[in-house]
Amino acid sequence: MAATTGVAADWFWPKHSVSYRKPCSFVAILNAADYSEKVEALLMDGLRLFRLNVAGRRVLLKPNLVEDLPGPINTNADIIGAAARCFLRLGAARVVIGEGPGHQRDTELVVQAANLKPHLADRQIQFVDLNRDELVRVKLKANYSRLGGLWLPRTVLDSDFVVSMPKIKTHHWAGVTLSLKNMFGIVPGMKYGWPKNLLHWHGIHESILDICASVPIHFVIADGITAMEGNGPLQGTARDLGKIVLADDPVAADATCARLMGFDPLRVQHLSDAGRFLGNLKAERITTLGDRPEPVTPPFSVLPEFHYLVASTH
Amino acid sequence: MDSAKILAELLLKRQLRSGGWSYFGSRQSCVESTSLAVLALGRDGPNATIAGTEHLLRSQERDGGWPAFIGDVESAWVTALVLCTLNTTSDFAVARERALQWLMMERGREGHWFWRWKFRIADRDVRFNPDKYGWPWSPKTVSWVIPSAFSLVAIKQYTACNRLAASEERIRLGVEMLLDRACVVGGWNSGNSIVYGVPLPPHVEATAIALLALQDEERTPMIRMSLAWLKQRSATIEAVESLAWSILSLFVYQEPVEDLKARLATLIGDGREIRNNATLATAILALRCGEMIHPFVVLR
Repeated sequence: MAATTGVAADWFWPKHSVSYRKPCSFVAILNAADYSEKVEALLMDGLRLFRLNVAGRRVLLKPNLVEDLPGPINTNADIIGAAARCFLRLGAARVVIGEGPGHQRDTELVVQAANLKPHLADRQIQFVDLNRDELVRVKLKANYSRLGGLWLPRTVLDSDFVVSMPKIKTHHWAGVTLSLKNMFGIVPGMKYGWPKNLLHWHGIHESILDICASVPIHFVIADGITAMEGNGPLQGTARDLGKIVLADDPVAADATCARLMGFDPLRVQHLSDAGRFLGNLKAERITTLGDRPEPVTPPFSVLPEFHYLVASTH
Repeated sequence: MDSAKILAELLLKRQLRSGGWSYFGSRQSCVESTSLAVLALGRDGPNATIAGTEHLLRSQERDGGWPAFIGDVESAWVTALVLCTLNTTSDFAVARERALQWLMMERGREGHWFWRWKFRIADRDVRFNPDKYGWPWSPKTVSWVIPSAFSLVAIKQYTACNRLAASEERIRLGVEMLLDRACVVGGWNSGNSIVYGVPLPPHVEATAIALLALQDEERTPMIRMSLAWLKQRSATIEAVESLAWSILSLFVYQEPVEDLKARLATLIGDGREIRNNATLATAILALRCGEMIHPFVVLR
């Protein structure tokens, strides 16, 4: 009944002014046992499946770099570096790796700890601290959070092709943190602080939807070689998944990641709502290139508050 | 030429026509980088310092606070940093008094009885005592460690010679808030010490800045433990910003910092790799520790 009312209310008073849903979305699940130099070749082969047109375009890679702590917290630097080189080989005019860590104010410390620096030696690959970039006021294209507008980094807004590169993790407030939640990192700390507490006050799920409506994600490369389960995104435990998930639709990517984790994507609040306008959630509208997603056994462990996420097939 | 002098010349070249500094070379002047640059350039660029100070004074909002960057209109955490900057002179009494009033009015959202009640009854995932509040990064959010610490330093400095009961009370509350948010092993992170029953680790920069705010307080076991943690961690840190704040903090606790300064000078080189002007300015201040009046010192 509540769901029906919600859909009806959304029809009469839509909370979003855009829709990025396509008739069909494509996802590829790549098998990778570990992080090695082989990742780049694997990624290149995977990207070619999508026939992306990035020639001459300004590509922004948005990894998930959070803390200078050990463990599978950050997107692996070898995957970030490999992705940057792959997009240059595909003809991108410029590749920028941009991140605004949400907890740690010293971005250099996070970049060092993530071991990203060696990959920045290539002059064509630049890192931008999104917490301190030039800011532009943006009217949000959805109104779930009632924020109305946000100041966002010019580097993000000037990019032609945004690639969200999350680490596949559980999250103690959002349930999961995947390509959509990863976009919290474009919100600048110098204005909104460390952490970006205003987004929490306006609702994590709601803020995710509004940010992703306003800064569309064009492609996803999700690092699930070593993922995180339990009390993520910082204090969880490593879970070897052995997968990299690629997708031309962030909702399809996150739904696929959630299924791999053993979760029902419809039970992740922001993912369920995102399926109405940010991309395709239902399996029948997602074409898998290569291996089909097989949920892991047992499903990813979660805090007791999130047991409801686990798919009923388990 | 000494390292700090070379860095100061680089920072001078990066000043915007408006008199301010951006973080990373854009034309958008930011209040944190401008405040730190004005503090750092003192004797090396008197004209630049005057222009920077005038730029800050022009940017003060009607409510007495400063926005995080020019173009925004919402007063924010950087107000404390500007007050620290203006406190290094004996001038600008009106601007400083208005800044103090803004800081006295601003409080974390848990300062309101309704949200205190909510945090005490319903929202207990993060362990903290909502009765002890400080300052937020931006209005309508809760208190966090770094903005609270800068606010404490600014208010302590400004009211050192004539402290009213209201200021004293706010300082006490802010100090208690910092001590309440300390990590289990000592030190501070953004302000979440225990989440879902799991202790979170401290951050170098937050610990260094929090300790600056507590420099004139009684050396409680928590402060001593935090100082020990910072000393140990700073011995290996390779990031310029965190190392610079460590030096500034350890110095006021009369800990030896010469080795750390030497490492900082080596790490930073001629400074051209340091594109963040706030970091560059902080490094200059750290390298000059002991040679100039410490901008974040609090008189006892």
